[in-house]
Amino acid sequence: MRADGVLAMLDRWGRLLLPGTILLFFVLMTLAPLRVPYIADSLPLLPALAVFQFSLATPERLPGPLLLAMGVLLDLLLGGPGAPVGVSALGFVLIRAAVVANRRYLVGVPFIFQWLGFCLLCFGYVFLVWFFTTIWTWTDIDAGPALAQYVVVVVAYPLIAPLLARVRPRDPLNVPEASRGTATPGETTL
Amino acid sequence: MAIRDDFEEVAGQVRLVLHRFALVVLVVAAFAAMLIGKADTVLVENARVLALDLASPALEAIARPVAVANRTIADLKEFATLREENARLREENTRLLAWQTAARRLENENTRLRELANFREGPEASFITARIVGDSVSAYVRGALLNVGRKAGVEPGQAVVTGEGLAGRVAEVGDNSARVLFVTDVNSRLPVQVERTRERAILAGDNSALMRLTLAQTLQGVQRGDRIVTSGHGGSFPVGIPVGEVVQTESGSVKVRPFADFSRLEFVRVVDYGVTGLVSTGSSSPAATSKGR
Repeated sequence: MRADGVLAMLDRWGRLLLPGTILLFFVLMTLAPLRVPYIADSLPLLPALAVFQFSLATPERLPGPLLLAMGVLLDLLLGGPGAPVGVSALGFVLIRAAVVANRRYLVGVPFIFQWLGFCLLCFGYVFLVWFFTTIWTWTDIDAGPALAQYVVVVVAYPLIAPLLARVRPRDPLNVPEASRGTATPGETTL
Repeated sequence: MAIRDDFEEVAGQVRLVLHRFALVVLVVAAFAAMLIGKADTVLVENARVLALDLASPALEAIARPVAVANRTIADLKEFATLREENARLREENTRLLAWQTAARRLENENTRLRELANFREGPEASFITARIVGDSVSAYVRGALLNVGRKAGVEPGQAVVTGEGLAGRVAEVGDNSARVLFVTDVNSRLPVQVERTRERAILAGDNSALMRLTLAQTLQGVQRGDRIVTSGHGGSFPVGIPVGEVVQTESGSVKVRPFADFSRLEFVRVVDYGVTGLVSTGSSSPAATSKGR
């Protein structure tokens, strides 16, 4: 199919591994003792942002099992005693599924719609985590801090998303069918 | 051409079914992970410890530059107020010198009285200094990760202190890492006493910046500004580590602000008091000891 030079191979592997690596980095960053107010608050939701953004552009490079593993890792690292392990995994998988199912509304549309989509899905994610943590620990957990995190990450989305959006596939299959035209896989757009 | 289109259509449908099925499998797997976590807490604790140990080198690599950046920002902020700070410190110094004289006198007096009364001192505490390599602060947890673990002698239940006062308690220990649960965490229950009245109480965190004081007897004796110190009940904590200060006594609830400034912790000390064998691991131990009293 393609000339398999060393560089081409590196390029392909790099592209293949980049979303997962960035997600892993964000999962670890969640724990970084960053003492910047507001920014530090949004850290726990950055993995969810990465999952959303990469599911828009390259869902095939964030396969479900990887999301499951990352979510469990995040829960293990972040969770206190008694917190459910796997709730972030559930959230990640559902975000990816929701994005993949609604691509026509989220891909190749003005940025504001993607932002809106993120607002909706991230709220669902925050609610899911809060709900399961409350049920699991059977304590009345104040939803205030979780909502504050949500607001911060939603405001931060326009700053971070364009950076992550640079990781995109070369072939034009990620544009809606209507505007795909006669392009075939492997063809370069820009 | 038509055959190819048909084929693509069928292939697309098959792919769709597979995708749907994959989603169901993944969701079931996530639920299974949650259920396993609920059923087998030991397994999850071990997995947590393993994950911490694996992530701790990477976290340490991240933590160092972050710490440098934080310190630079703090330095710059301090430069701006250097003059006032100096004046304040000079004033405080004179005040503290007076206190030092008083403390020396009391210490001498104390030693002599102890000799007279044949008083036996409790076990000596030893310290392990640790760097904070990770914050486990989210909407649901207040804690931190340390770069020392079992190899350095850290055990679950040990007290973690800063220069200002008690920060929390060691909850989980790996070979080279440990997780601290701050006193402000919702799972934290700490046996304390009011320094002035020696009244015993339980200090409970609720994930906010302030802690709630539940008194064994009455609320009347407590005033604003009262210092709260550990009472030593429950075994693992030394007596008299400062924890916080009462800031609010209205509407039947007493709120305590911790002395430790959790927003700028970089190094902490793990206190080995030599009696941690009394407490079991996990979050239930302080609550259990408090109920036992």
